[in-house]
Amino acid sequence: MKPGRLIGRIVLAFAGFMAVFPLLWTALNALKNNVDIITRVPRLVFTPTWANIGYILGRDSVLTGLYNSVVACGSAVLIGVVLGLPAAYAVARYPNRWAGDIQFFVLSLRFLPPVAVAIPLMVIWLQVGLYDTLPALIITYSLLTISVIMWLAIPAFQGVPKEIEEAAFVDGYGAYSVFWRIALPVAARSLAGAVAFSFVLVWNEFLIALMLSSSNAKTLPIVASELSQQGMNVPWGILNASVVLLSLPPLLFLGVLSGFLNSIFRQKKS
Amino acid sequence: MARRTSLPVTFVVPTIAILLVLSMVPTLYAIVIALQNRELSTPDYSWVWLSNFSDLFLDRRFLNAVWVSVKWEIVTVVATMVVAIGLGVLMFEVASPRLRNAYCLLFIIPVLLPRVSAAFVWKFAYHPLYGIATYPYRLITGGLIFDPLSKPATALFAVASVDVWQWGLFFAVIVLKLLETLPPQPIEAARLDHAKRWQIHAYVTLPMLKAPLISLMFVKMIESLRSFDLIYVMTRGGPGVATETLDMYAFSQGFIESGKVSYASAMAVLMMIATVITFTMLWKRVQA
Repeated sequence: MKPGRLIGRIVLAFAGFMAVFPLLWTALNALKNNVDIITRVPRLVFTPTWANIGYILGRDSVLTGLYNSVVACGSAVLIGVVLGLPAAYAVARYPNRWAGDIQFFVLSLRFLPPVAVAIPLMVIWLQVGLYDTLPALIITYSLLTISVIMWLAIPAFQGVPKEIEEAAFVDGYGAYSVFWRIALPVAARSLAGAVAFSFVLVWNEFLIALMLSSSNAKTLPIVASELSQQGMNVPWGILNASVVLLSLPPLLFLGVLSGFLNSIFRQKKS
Repeated sequence: MARRTSLPVTFVVPTIAILLVLSMVPTLYAIVIALQNRELSTPDYSWVWLSNFSDLFLDRRFLNAVWVSVKWEIVTVVATMVVAIGLGVLMFEVASPRLRNAYCLLFIIPVLLPRVSAAFVWKFAYHPLYGIATYPYRLITGGLIFDPLSKPATALFAVASVDVWQWGLFFAVIVLKLLETLPPQPIEAARLDHAKRWQIHAYVTLPMLKAPLISLMFVKMIESLRSFDLIYVMTRGGPGVATETLDMYAFSQGFIESGKVSYASAMAVLMMIATVITFTMLWKRVQA
């Protein structure tokens, strides 16, 4: 093997190691007692403990945060699916002179700095009495999910071969049943990726949740970040356990999202 | 498919109407608040028009935040693109198809993590006494302390490294997929001309990918502006104001230190105007 190739392989292997090792280390630390974490020389061999994970799962604030995150993200994604997918289909399949503007408008929502949205919304929700409630979070997150789902679903629908839809029209299907029975199932894999992506995005969202909640509607990222502020005696193991808990749901979508990437680039090839 | 149907109207109009309401109401309201002198502690307010904005330009901390934000954008965008292109080309050159798939899966993991998690993971790793990332330094120097997050000179880069860890590796996957979609003939032709591998990429493949790479950079520029969570967890803008970006400063003015919501909103409005103008112009150029 040429030396250049060998160096390349070593660099790649190192990058792969760097990609996951910090996370694996955190997962290990979640299973350690504090004495095994606070060591000058990192300790690989230790007696594992479930205490940190048990503590995390037994805390009301964590469970409330988990519940809030699931409800807020789930509802916002559902709204995004119901409103975003049909709109994306219409933009993809019935192009008119506004199609370009609509696409740019949807993308431009991503330019808005989150602070610029969160400050006025905080004042608005305070005035209408919905501050620190889940409905306020859900409505705010819907802006995010609808626009992201639309943005990713337009190319997904454009990737459905037109001939199939034409054939369905010839068979006497109406426009709506073509959407339901042909376009949706054919594009399903790419659409699932778009939906998963929007879920990961709102699950990971921090700033808006921080500003729109004070006690009742706190989501899991907020609860996790607050755990770090508990006094001088940093509960390292507990913190690591909360990081692991917070990271698990998005990682469940790893397979879906990598399939989504593959399907996007396969379309481009043809 | 020029069929007469109500579908486009029923599918598009409600969604766009809702998006318009959800985005325009806060946007306009942000401007209204910025022209007043609202504070969280009192319900009273009056119109002060542009004085929040004129105050901003005399506020040295604000000017510092602008500078930190600019530095942050440049460092994270450039480093992300360098890492992405470097690793993408490496995977294309030296990894077998099976290995490529494995690396792709590994490289997507960091970007899926919530930024709060990523920030904590690295905050532990950078701990001067017990961190895994500072361990090699302690080992080599025989226990000297290296604390990158608490030094003004290194804090920004330490936080930026986490951002690049998340996005650079992910973009490497996309660069690889882009390289795989290229037609093989130009690469073969260059090889027949005895071009070296790096020359093939520098002069053939990467120029062919110019448009998607610029789009990728554009996406990263937008995402880099959303780094509040990383900075909030890792440094809170510190040490001093070394990592205080615009959104961090707006947040601390509006909520932590003084509750000056209007002042914070004025800052947010300026950010909004700057980003909308910049990105609209860039977008039109990318599309052209």
